[in-house]
Amino acid sequence: MDLADRIESFRETLEEWLRGLYHGMITHPAYEKIEKEAEDAEDAFMLACFPDAFGIPSPVSYYTAELLPYLEDEFEGWERRLWDRGTYLERKGQQYHF
Amino acid sequence: MEPFVFFGGKGGVGKTTVSCAYGLECARDGHRTLVVSTDPAHSVTDVFDQSFDDSPRPVEGIDGLDAMQIDPEDEVTRHLDEIRQNLSEQVSASMVNEINRQLEMAHGTPGAYESALFDRFVDVMRNAEAYDRVVFDTAPSGSTLRLLGLPDLLEGWIDRLMYKRRTSIDLFEKAAVGNNEPRRVMDGDPVLERLQERKQFFEFAGSALHDDAAFFLVMNPDELSLNETRRSIDDLREKGFDVRGLVANKLTPSPDPDENGRGARYLRERVATERERLETIRSEFEPPLVAEIGWRSAEVKGDLLADVAAELDVETAVEPPTHV
Repeated sequence: MDLADRIESFRETLEEWLRGLYHGMITHPAYEKIEKEAEDAEDAFMLACFPDAFGIPSPVSYYTAELLPYLEDEFEGWERRLWDRGTYLERKGQQYHF
Repeated sequence: MEPFVFFGGKGGVGKTTVSCAYGLECARDGHRTLVVSTDPAHSVTDVFDQSFDDSPRPVEGIDGLDAMQIDPEDEVTRHLDEIRQNLSEQVSASMVNEINRQLEMAHGTPGAYESALFDRFVDVMRNAEAYDRVVFDTAPSGSTLRLLGLPDLLEGWIDRLMYKRRTSIDLFEKAAVGNNEPRRVMDGDPVLERLQERKQFFEFAGSALHDDAAFFLVMNPDELSLNETRRSIDDLREKGFDVRGLVANKLTPSPDPDENGRGARYLRERVATERERLETIRSEFEPPLVAEIGWRSAEVKGDLLADVAAELDVETAVEPPTHV
């Protein structure tokens, strides 16, 4: 292996590391953050649709019930997140990596 | 007058009788007419001596008159079954139970009856091409008024729901960095589609109620009925509906002048107080008094209905609907 090849392979490794580092430090947390935010928005939507799940009668539950067949994933995720969430602070805290 | 005519009022004042009489009059004047009742007591059945269900059926012996009765309980059940059917097609078996619980909860909420009734009302209005005139005999005041206020309320609500849904999908799409598949996509989202459909339904309901419907209130000449009518007029006006006219029903007949027994004296007194109340109505209430209908000693049906119809001074001419 001559020098040129060794430089080439070194650069490839470096590039890979840098890409990984960038992904780990910047892209992935950002991606996670947006996704968490999206989940929060979805939870707000679910809560607006089905407040009776918390004992708040809603005049629109009758109509939003029509959406239930199309909300399987959302519903499952919503329930899971409700179980999983001790406090709102905890949920927000999960979005930061120290 | 508008193709859809609503008769409302306190319970027991004779809305069904007046609606049926008006329906009869319309039919006699050559308009194809449908009488729709939401009274679970099935009074239309009693008036015409014939049973009806939730699809229009011709009234025997009267040409051009159909009648139907909507039972809110049946409507709620039907709605529930429809969603369940949908549920079993779309949702995996393990989730069905979870979601079913939510579904039943939604149908047990206090508003479910009203929503079911409202849906059916609007459905009838939407598919009323076969008729020139549809007469609605509504349930007692309170719930009916809430019913009429629904479209505005719900349109706003649906708008907000759609906004929330769009926001979350948008974020999911943004979260899908690089080659990742987004968890939800905006295009063809069935939930947004459903909401849009509902929105159009409420828009139709709102405009049909505002532009193609006329409201009449039936009342009795007593204090309670008077007060309730006053409140109803205000409530309706607040929602942007004007009451076209008032119908005074169950007026006491006056005795012959030569009679002087206890019964006659009682009747005379009642007639006097009722006359005062009618005066109050004429002078204080804005909608005109369009009919004064006396007490009948027998149940109002058959020929008596025609009598009542003759006392109704409500025009029957029909304008075509603007929104159907």
